[in-house]
Amino acid sequence: MKWRKPLPRSLLLGVLTGIVLLLFALSLAIGTVSIPLSDVMTTLLGGTPTKPGWGTIIWQFRLPRSLTAMLAGSALAISGLQLQTLFNNPLAGPFVLGISSGASLGVAIVVLASQQLGWLYGDINIIAAACIGAASVAFLVIMTARMVQSAIALLVLGLMFGYATGAIVNILLQLSSAQQVQQFVIWTFGSFGGVTWAQLPLMAGGIAIGSAIAFTTTMVLNVMLLGETQAMTLGVNLNQLRFLVLLSSSILAGIVTAFCGPIAFLGVAVPHLCRGVLKTGDLRWLLPAVMIVGAGLALVADLLSQVLVRSSILPLNSVTALIGTPIVIWVILQSRLR
Amino acid sequence: MSGCKEFQVEIDVLGSLLHSLFHFVHSGEEFSMNKLSLWLVLLGSAIAVSSCAIAPPKDAANSRSDCVKNYQTGVDYFPNKIRLKDAQGFTVDYHKHYKIVSVNRPWKDAKTQFQYVLVQCGTPTPTGFKPEQIVQIPVRSVVTLSTTHFVPLQRLGVLDRLVGISNFKDVTTPAISEKIQANQLTEVGDAGSLNLEKILELSPDLVTTFGTGNPKQDAHPKLLEAGIKVAIVAEYMESTPLGQAEWMKFLAVFFNKEAEAERSFAETRQRYQAIATQVKAVKLRPTVFSGFDSKGTWYMPGGDSYMATFFQDAGANYLWANQRSPGSLQLNFEQVYDRAAPAQFWIIGSQSIKTHQDVIAADSRYQGFAAVQSNNLFSPTAKVNAEGGNDYWQSGTANPDLLLADLVKIFHPELVPDHQLVYYRQLPK
Repeated sequence: MKWRKPLPRSLLLGVLTGIVLLLFALSLAIGTVSIPLSDVMTTLLGGTPTKPGWGTIIWQFRLPRSLTAMLAGSALAISGLQLQTLFNNPLAGPFVLGISSGASLGVAIVVLASQQLGWLYGDINIIAAACIGAASVAFLVIMTARMVQSAIALLVLGLMFGYATGAIVNILLQLSSAQQVQQFVIWTFGSFGGVTWAQLPLMAGGIAIGSAIAFTTTMVLNVMLLGETQAMTLGVNLNQLRFLVLLSSSILAGIVTAFCGPIAFLGVAVPHLCRGVLKTGDLRWLLPAVMIVGAGLALVADLLSQVLVRSSILPLNSVTALIGTPIVIWVILQSRLR
Repeated sequence: MSGCKEFQVEIDVLGSLLHSLFHFVHSGEEFSMNKLSLWLVLLGSAIAVSSCAIAPPKDAANSRSDCVKNYQTGVDYFPNKIRLKDAQGFTVDYHKHYKIVSVNRPWKDAKTQFQYVLVQCGTPTPTGFKPEQIVQIPVRSVVTLSTTHFVPLQRLGVLDRLVGISNFKDVTTPAISEKIQANQLTEVGDAGSLNLEKILELSPDLVTTFGTGNPKQDAHPKLLEAGIKVAIVAEYMESTPLGQAEWMKFLAVFFNKEAEAERSFAETRQRYQAIATQVKAVKLRPTVFSGFDSKGTWYMPGGDSYMATFFQDAGANYLWANQRSPGSLQLNFEQVYDRAAPAQFWIIGSQSIKTHQDVIAADSRYQGFAAVQSNNLFSPTAKVNAEGGNDYWQSGTANPDLLLADLVKIFHPELVPDHQLVYYRQLPK
């Protein structure tokens, strides 16, 4: 796709926002239960639909679900954009650094060991465990980042942490009953539907903190586009920058994985998509753009997971991977073939 | 007796090989890769040849007291035969001195079927079958990898032949606990993480297991490779409670216990149908739904499933009875809410949900269900041991009559005033 006369970037962002709003409306109107559009409108305007249960479905199920999807999509995209810029590597993302694996380990311990340890099993515990797991791995990565200078080495270390936590998860799976394994496997499918109104403020708050840190690093991270050495000569405090980016990424990816399960490839794919559309590497443009596109793509993935196959719900994690991989491949081919 | 001779010869060959190898290594000859590899190949083939000798010699069967002494053609060695009423998943063809047992649906969407040739020991083995299909009966020792086989084996009166089970902690069947206390059982691990060496050490006549079609979870390929006879019990594929219970007869044919199985199942069936007939007349059928939301997917039993049959027979109006499927339907929360919000009863399958508070804690939106508001929440968790082993999954399959009585007690208590809940319980507030 080649723009004959590139549209102004602000206009492009406006168009993208419009598309996301449309998708948001669509996600409220479309679901596994078919509710007439007029009833959806009545409900959203505060009225009572023809069937009172529909009101509950829209307010209690679809609205929190759509908001969760948008928040999660934005958060993962910001995290991916930051890590890709910091490591100057197109494949960097929250999964690569082992942060999501850390969250999985936390969840695996709660789901698989709760019976043995006599803990209360519940969604709150899973969220807490995922946060602690993500934070532990992130802490390890941040600590090593202080010692190791090379970005590639750090990336490899992150991968290793991921493998190690994955191995522990496998051991736990082997020791568990079939029912517990199933519970864990279902968690790994990922879903935006498990977040209730009561949990939404917590999730939104965490993502707000992570995003705020991300915005503060924008200017400095922009300098990183020139390369690490260049950035250092320009007076960038590399250690501080790394710390802030890793902190922000861990919060964002940890929170999303905690509430929604592991959501693959959104974090990696969205920044590429935005660079392709906006034709810039400038983070001042890209940061808002990935938030908008991340939210939109998450809504699309959630809709597809529900409506693609009748009488079944596809694992969200697989849908995002199927959307994400072609985008990444396209980007790589575009940059290599030219 | 030729088996014993061969066994001796192989031991001799292996012994002399080892001796020569020892001699070779210590004789100070120049180290040659070619020579060493030749020795290793020879040693390897000797081990491969001798491994068949480790299995008990087949002809030893002649000395068994339960074997036929003087085989006569034309004699029917199986006067008692099974007659299947409800089970769809297996068939038994009786021949004079052997039975052919076929498992048609070993697991969901299975492309393979299993056929076993059960040969009365002391009689000739019919030709045209693979060696792993042949099982000498009656089976003298058995290892079972599924807890659902405990009660059927007990009712067949062959528990003394049980030598190994998957693990001890799940056991809720008293007779099995006694055997554990008396050191008569060995733990061999779950089907997915089998301790093959322990099974080989026990060297049972038969291992009873189940199939899933997933090579990572299934035990039978490895066992067959090791030369152990395996029977795939696919009772969970049956869509009716009586069909599942009737798989007791499948186990029975391996022990020549057809008469016992026929009698025991007939009693269970009669009790089940007596309750079902009584319920048929009810006018008001309370609405019921089942399953639980797991991170966005609600697994609801299909209209042709085991649970749906139970709900129908227990006089309930199962809200997904018309969705024809033998397995689970995958719904999402809003679909279930849309249909089941006003339903009177919720039968929760999840074992981790223990109280009314657990339900709310799992997702506050469950409060929107009428069944939650009235606390008409039941789950089959009345008999769970300290380790989390649930008797529902153990003896439940063999006792469909008790499970039905439990459900009738829940939906229509006036019909079974004397019955006390056995497997099910109401979740405490």
